Amino acid sequence: MIKLTVNDVEHSLDIEPDMPLLWALREETALRGTKFGCGLGLCGACTVHIDGAPVRSCSYPVSAAVGKKINTIESIGTADAPHAVQQAWIEHQVPQCGYCQSGMQMAAVALLNSNPQPTDEDIEATMTNLCRCGTYDRVRAAIKSAAKELV
Amino acid sequence: MGLTRRLFMITGATVGGGLLLGVGGLGAHLLTHNRLGVQRDGHDAADSTHINLWMRITADNKIIVVNPHTDMGQGSATGLMQIVADELDADWSQMQVEQAPADPAYSNGKVFEGFVREMMTPPDWASTLLENGFYRMGDLMKAQMTGGSSAVRFTGWDAMRNAAAATRHMLVSAAAKQLGVSEDSLTTEAGMVVHAETGKSLSYGELAAAAANIDSPDDIKLKSPEDYRFVGQPIERVDVPAKVIANADYGIDADVPGMQYAAVVTSGVFGAQVKSIDNIDEVKGSRGVSDVLIVPDGVAVVADNPWRAEKAVRTAKFTRESHENDNMSTESLITKQRDALAGDLVSGMNVGTPQDIKASLSAEYLVPYLAHASLEPMNATVWQEDNKLHIVAGVQNPLMAKARAAKEAGVDLDDVVFHARQMGGGFGRRVAFSMSGDEPLSWLVQAVRIAVDTGKPVKTIWSRETDTRSDVYRPMVMAQFEGALADNGKPALWRSRSYGKEMNVKAVAPPYGIDNVDVSFADQGHPVPVGFWRSVEHSQHGFFVESFIDELAVAAGVDPLEYRLSLVDDNTPAARVLAKVAEMSAWRSGADEQGRAMGVAMVHSFGSTVAQVVEASITPAGPRAHRVWCAVDCGVAVNPQAIEAQVQGSVNFALSAALYGKCDIANGGVVQSNFHDYRVVGMADAPRIQVEMVASDSAVGGVGEIGVPPLAPAFCNALSAIDGERRRMLPLV
Repeated sequence: MIKLTVNDVEHSLDIEPDMPLLWALREETALRGTKFGCGLGLCGACTVHIDGAPVRSCSYPVSAAVGKKINTIESIGTADAPHAVQQAWIEHQVPQCGYCQSGMQMAAVALLNSNPQPTDEDIEATMTNLCRCGTYDRVRAAIKSAAKELV
Repeated sequence: MGLTRRLFMITGATVGGGLLLGVGGLGAHLLTHNRLGVQRDGHDAADSTHINLWMRITADNKIIVVNPHTDMGQGSATGLMQIVADELDADWSQMQVEQAPADPAYSNGKVFEGFVREMMTPPDWASTLLENGFYRMGDLMKAQMTGGSSAVRFTGWDAMRNAAAATRHMLVSAAAKQLGVSEDSLTTEAGMVVHAETGKSLSYGELAAAAANIDSPDDIKLKSPEDYRFVGQPIERVDVPAKVIANADYGIDADVPGMQYAAVVTSGVFGAQVKSIDNIDEVKGSRGVSDVLIVPDGVAVVADNPWRAEKAVRTAKFTRESHENDNMSTESLITKQRDALAGDLVSGMNVGTPQDIKASLSAEYLVPYLAHASLEPMNATVWQEDNKLHIVAGVQNPLMAKARAAKEAGVDLDDVVFHARQMGGGFGRRVAFSMSGDEPLSWLVQAVRIAVDTGKPVKTIWSRETDTRSDVYRPMVMAQFEGALADNGKPALWRSRSYGKEMNVKAVAPPYGIDNVDVSFADQGHPVPVGFWRSVEHSQHGFFVESFIDELAVAAGVDPLEYRLSLVDDNTPAARVLAKVAEMSAWRSGADEQGRAMGVAMVHSFGSTVAQVVEASITPAGPRAHRVWCAVDCGVAVNPQAIEAQVQGSVNFALSAALYGKCDIANGGVVQSNFHDYRVVGMADAPRIQVEMVASDSAVGGVGEIGVPPLAPAFCNALSAIDGERRRMLPLV
C-alpha cells in the first residue's frame, strides 16, 4: 500500500510505486482539478505542490511523494474563498478553455510563495507551463496583481 | 424524433421551473407542422429570421439562454447573453445560460447560411428558399456546430437577437392584456414591464406563461445601438470563475460508477487497419488489464486505471494491413503537389488580361501539416444505462457526434444521450467533418466500439502521442506566385497556383485593387487526413498572399504599409485597420539600431478584418517576435475584453505554428509525438500583444480565428526587413 497525504487527507492506496502521481490523484482519490496534458512533464497542466514546490505530477512517481505534503488546486481556494491568485485570474479574465489553468495557477502560487515580487524575467523563467489558448499576457498581468495583493 | 415528442422534449427540459417562451407563440404551428414549416410560415408572415428556441424565462424571473454552441475557450456564451439581455431589456443579474441538448431542434441552419452568404450573394428571390434550405440541411446533416467563428455573428446576431426582440414584444402584449392598458403605455426595464402612469409593474417571470400564448409579432423592432447597455461592454465571462476554481467539467473529468479506462495506439499508417494483436496474452497479463481489442485504426487496452491501460497498450505488438500509404513521406507529398501544380489547373478567379502580362517575379511557398494539439487530449466516456447509450465528451458538434455514435453502436439516434462538456481546447479538432473524408471523431468512434464490445462503462483517453499522430491536420500546401509591377510600382499582375480545392476563393485572392489577377488551383486530394484548423484556409493563404504582396512592395521600393494602403479604397475596413495599426505601432520601415524591424499584414476572414504589425529580431537562438499590434474591424464588438483575449490567443497560436509547427510524414505516419518535437509557444517566447477594435459600420464579424492569419506573414515580413531574406517556408525553427 502507498500512503499519500493529499490536501491534508491521508490516503492508503493499493497502487504501484511507479504510478505517476497524476493518475493516483485523478482516478484513485477523484481529485480531477489536476489535468493530464502530455505525460512527459512538458506542458505543466498536471502541476501540484510537493512540500510547497511545484512538481509535474504526470512524471512524478507516487513512491517519491510518500511522507510528503501533496497539495492540489482543490486546496488552494474555493469559490467562496478564492486565493489571491484566483481572484487575480478572474479580475484579469485569464482562462479561455481553462484546461491548463489549474496547473498554471499552481505554478503561479509556488512562484509567489518563493518570490513575492517577481519581475518579468522571473515570470518568464519560472512560468514554463504551456497554454494552447495563448493567455500569457493575462497570466503575466494577473501574477503581478496577485503579488500586489499578497504584500 | 416525432414532432409532439420534440415539443415534449423541449418543454420537458424546463422541468424545475421555467417556460420555453416562444414555442408557445409558435406552438400552434409546432403541433401541426415541423420546424421547417414554422419557419416557412415565419417567412410568409414578414420576418424571415424568427425562431424562439433560444430562451426560457423562469417564474422567479431568470432568463436562461439556451446555447446550441459548446465552449472550447472562445467564451461566446457570454456574448449571446449580452445580445439577448439587451434586446429583452433584462437585468444582467437575471441572465443565465445552459447548454442546449444535442437535438435536431438546435441544428444550425443560420450558421450554414452565414458561411455561404459570406462567399456569395444570392438573388433576393432565392434568399427565403436558401434560408429554409439551410435549416433543412442543418437538420439532415445533424449539424449543431461550433466553428467558423459563427456563434455570436450568426446564432447571436441573426437568430437570438430577433428572438429576444420578439419575446420582449410578446411580454409587453401579455402585460397590456393583464393590466387592461395599451401596449404603447408600457415600457420595459430590468426584466420588468412597467406602466408608468399607475406605477404598476409585472416581472417577465410573471408574464411568461401568458406571453407564450401570444403570437409573435410580424414586425420586430430591434434596439438602436445607442441604447445598448450590455453589447459593447467588456463584461466578465460567465464561464471564467468555474475554470479558475477548477470546477469546470471537461470531458476527461467524467466519472461513472464502475468506470474502466481505455488507451489506444493507432496503426501508424494513415488508413491502415490492424489485422491482429500478436502478444495478446502478454498484454492481458499486465496489472489491471481486462480487455485487449482491435478497434478502428488501432488497438485498445481496457484497464482499471488510465496509466495501467496506457502502459499495457504500449507493449502491444500488432500486425497491420499493408497499405498504399506505407511509403508515404513529406518528400513524396511535396513532389505530388509540385507535379499537380505543373499539370491541369482549375481556375478560381480571372480578372483583366493576366495572360498578356509578363511576370517579373516568381516565388514558391510551402507550409506543413499541423496538428491542433489542444491541451486536453481527445477522450470520451461511454456507457449503457436503461437501454440508452450515454456519452460524455467535449465536441464542436454534439448532434453529429451523437449521430456517429448511434451509427457505430447500431442504435437509433434517440437511443443515444450525449452529454456535451467543456472542451480543453478545440481549434477545429473536435468538429465532425474533414476535408479529406477521414473521420475526425475517430476517437469517439473507438470509445463507442470499446464500450459496446466490452459491455463496460469506459473512459477512453488518447495519449498525447496518439493525439499528435492521429489528428486531422491543417493541410500541407504549396503555392506558386508570379507578379509584375506597373510603371507606377503598383502590381500589374498577380498570379497564384495553389494546391487544394478552396471553396472560398476570396481567401486565396489578394484583397487589393489589382487589374490583372489569375488564381487557380490543383487538387488531387490528401492521403493524410486533413481538416479544419483555427482560421482554416486563411492560415495558409493569409501567409502566402500577405508575404507575396510584401515581395511586390519591396520590389517597388515602397514602404509595405504605404503600399497596401495605396491598393485599398478609403473608408473600407482594410484602410481603417491598416491606418490604425500604423498608429498603434508607431510604424517604421527598416531595422532600428537594436536590429529590430517591423512587418505588417492584413487579412479579411470570418466577416472581420485584422491588420497586424509584428516587431521582430533575429537572436542567436533564432527569430523572435517581441511585440504585436492588432487592429480589428469586427463590426459591433459585442464584448471587447473577450475579443481581445481571442485575438491575443490567436497570435500565440499562429506564432507557435510560424516558429515551430510541423508534422513530418515518414513511412505513412506522423513523426512528431509530443510537445518536445511539436513545440508550442510558452511564456518566454510569447510576445506582448496589443489589440484595439476600430469604430466600424461593418456587420458583426467573427473573432475566434481572425487573429491567426496575419501573424505569420507580418512576422516573416519583419524578419525580411532585417536581413533581406524572404522566408517562404514554415516553420522558421
